[in-house]
Amino acid sequence: MSTGHSKAAKEFLKNQNYAKWHDATFWSVRSKRDNMAYGLDEWEQLREKASAIKRHTITHLDEYLDQFATNAEKNGCIVHWAKDANEFNEIVYGILKNHNVKKIVKSKSMLTEECEMNPYLEAHGIEVVETDLGERIIQLKGQKPSHIVMPAIHLNHDDVGELFEEKLGSEKGNHDPTYLTYVARLSLRNEFLTADAGMTGGNFGIAETGDIVVCTNEGNADMSTSCPKLHIAAIGLEKIIPNYDCLAVFQRMLCRAGTGQPTTTYTSHFRKARPTAHPMHIVLVDNGRSEWIGNPEHWEALKCIRCGSCMNTCPVYRRSGGYSYSYFIPGPIGINLGMLRDTQQHSGNVSACTLCLSCQTVCPVKVNLGDQIYQWRQQLDDFGTANPQKKMMCRGMSMVYGNQGVYNLGTALAHWANIIPSPLMNCGLNPWAEGHKMMTFPPKPFHKLIKEIEK
Amino acid sequence: MSNKEDILKRYRANVREKYDMPDLSDIKAITYPNPLVQFAKMSEMVGGQVIEVDQGRDVNVLIRELFPDAKEIASNLPEITIATRNPDTVGRARDLNGTDVGIIRGAFGVAENACIWIPQTMKEKAVCFISENLVILLPKSQIVNNMHEAYKRIQFDKTYDGYGTFISGPSKTADIAQVLVMGAQAARSATILLLPE
Repeated sequence: MSTGHSKAAKEFLKNQNYAKWHDATFWSVRSKRDNMAYGLDEWEQLREKASAIKRHTITHLDEYLDQFATNAEKNGCIVHWAKDANEFNEIVYGILKNHNVKKIVKSKSMLTEECEMNPYLEAHGIEVVETDLGERIIQLKGQKPSHIVMPAIHLNHDDVGELFEEKLGSEKGNHDPTYLTYVARLSLRNEFLTADAGMTGGNFGIAETGDIVVCTNEGNADMSTSCPKLHIAAIGLEKIIPNYDCLAVFQRMLCRAGTGQPTTTYTSHFRKARPTAHPMHIVLVDNGRSEWIGNPEHWEALKCIRCGSCMNTCPVYRRSGGYSYSYFIPGPIGINLGMLRDTQQHSGNVSACTLCLSCQTVCPVKVNLGDQIYQWRQQLDDFGTANPQKKMMCRGMSMVYGNQGVYNLGTALAHWANIIPSPLMNCGLNPWAEGHKMMTFPPKPFHKLIKEIEK
Repeated sequence: MSNKEDILKRYRANVREKYDMPDLSDIKAITYPNPLVQFAKMSEMVGGQVIEVDQGRDVNVLIRELFPDAKEIASNLPEITIATRNPDTVGRARDLNGTDVGIIRGAFGVAENACIWIPQTMKEKAVCFISENLVILLPKSQIVNNMHEAYKRIQFDKTYDGYGTFISGPSKTADIAQVLVMGAQAARSATILLLPE
C-alpha cells in the first residue's frame, strides 16, 4: 500500500539521529518565521494583500508580460520567450554560443532546475558553475537540491568537509563551517573572475520598470553579474508583478516567511547591462504555466513566490526530507506543482500530507496548498493512479458502513481477531501493522454498551 | 506565429475568472518613534556595524582607524582621499579583486530591516561586492520606516541607470549545516557611517 513517497521516506528515516536533526532544524526555521510574523501587526493584512495582488496579476498576466517586455526592451535588454524547457535550453545555449562563452557562473534558480538546463549546457561543452554555496555543494556532490531555499540541508558539516577535501583541497579533518565557507569563497572568487557570462534567476519582474529583482543573502547574483561581460536572467511567466508598490509587499514577506530574517542581505534590481558589458538578455519561460492558469482547482499554485515556508512547517516534509518526493520541488507546493506537471509521474506524492493545513496557514500569499492536495486525491481514480489496495479497502468499508446488518455482525465478531497469534497479525500481509501496533477489539462494541446503559 | 504571441494566445484562451487589483493605500505598515535608533538596532542584528560620525570628523581618518591593515582601498567618492583604486577608472571589473575596503554612498536607509538603497553610481558596481570590507556612507537624516516608503523613494542614477540594490549587512550564508557564517561570496563585513546633516 506504500506510495513512492513513503518508500523513500523509509530510507530517510533509517538514520534516526539525522531525521531528528532535520525535523528540529526546520521547526526552528518555522519558529523564526513566527517571530517575524508576530513582530508586525500588519502581517495578516500583508498576506491578504499579497494574495489579492497575485490573484489579480496572474489573471491579467498577458497585459503585465507585454508591459514588462516592452519596458525591458526600452531599457536596452533583449527579451526572449520560451514555450517549454527544451526551447529555453536552446535559447540560452544560442546566446552563449553567439558570445563564444566557455564558462558561466550562475546564481540559484529553480527554473533552471525545472528545465534541467545545466546538463543540457554541459552536454554542449559549456562549464556551468553554481555560486550559491548550497547549490555549489550539491553540484560538486552530483546531487539535486533537497529544499528550494536550503538546497544542501541533507548534508552535515562532515559530509561537506570530506567533499571539499576531495574537490577543493581543503585541510584534512577541518570540518568547521566557517572554514569550509571560506574555502568555497576563495574557489568561487576565482570562478567569478574567469567566467565569460553570469546567469541569474529572478524573484520578481516589475512590469512598470522592466526590472529583474533578485534576492540573495550571499551576494552571489551580484558577483555573477559584476565581472562577466554578459548577463542572462531567466524568469517564469508568473514572477511578473505590476509595480514597486506591489514589490514592497512581497519584499517584506519573502524572507520573513522563508528563513525568518527581516530581509535578504541583497535585494538587487537589474534594469540593463553594466556600461562595459554586452546587452542583458531576459528569457521568459512558460513551460506549462499558460495551461495551469486554466485549471479551476489548481491555478492558484501560480501565486507561489518560492519562499519555502510551506516545506519548513510541513510535518511530513520535516520527517521525510526533500528526496522522498518524486518532483524536484518537495513539500506542499512541490506536491501541487508536480501534479500540474505530470499526474502519472507524481501521484505518489499526494499521500505525503496529513491535511493539517499548516502550509496554507503560513503561506505568505495564501496558496490553498492543503485543500489542493485533498482535491488531487479525489481525482486519483480518474488519473488511473489510485492505489488498488486502498481502493479495495474503501469498497469494503463502504459495504460494511452502508449496511447495518453487516456492520453489526462485523463489530460483534471483531473481538475474535484478538486471539489471532501476533506473528500472523503483524506480518507483511497486514498493511495496517506497518508502523502501527494492532489494536485490541473490545468484547462488546460501543453501540451495544450504550444500549445496555440506556436500559 | 512568434513565441510571444503563441504563449499569450494560449494564456488568454485558458485564463478564467479575472480578479481586481486590491487597494494598497490602506496597509497599516509599521512605523517607529525613532527610525534612526531602529535602523541602527536592525543593522547590528543583521551583522553590520554602525558608527555615528561627529560633525567635523574626517571620515578618511576614521576609516583608517577602523581598518589599519588595509592596503587596497577602492572608492570614487570625491571626499575619500585615501583610495588607492577607483571603480570608474579600472580597466576591468576584475581588477578590483583584492580590495580590502570599498567605500560607497547610500541614498537612504530602512528602519524595519536595515536595508540601504545603493543606486549604481560608479562604472564598475563590483566594488560593492568584491571588497572584503564594505563601508557605506549614509546621511543619518535619510531613514524611512519601511519598504513601502522605501519603494516610493528609490531612484536610479542618471549616468549609471541600469542597476541599484538594497544592502542589509554583510554577505552571509547558513548553507553548511545551518551554521550562520558572515562573508559568503561578497563583503565579509559591512560598516555604516552615519553622517551628520
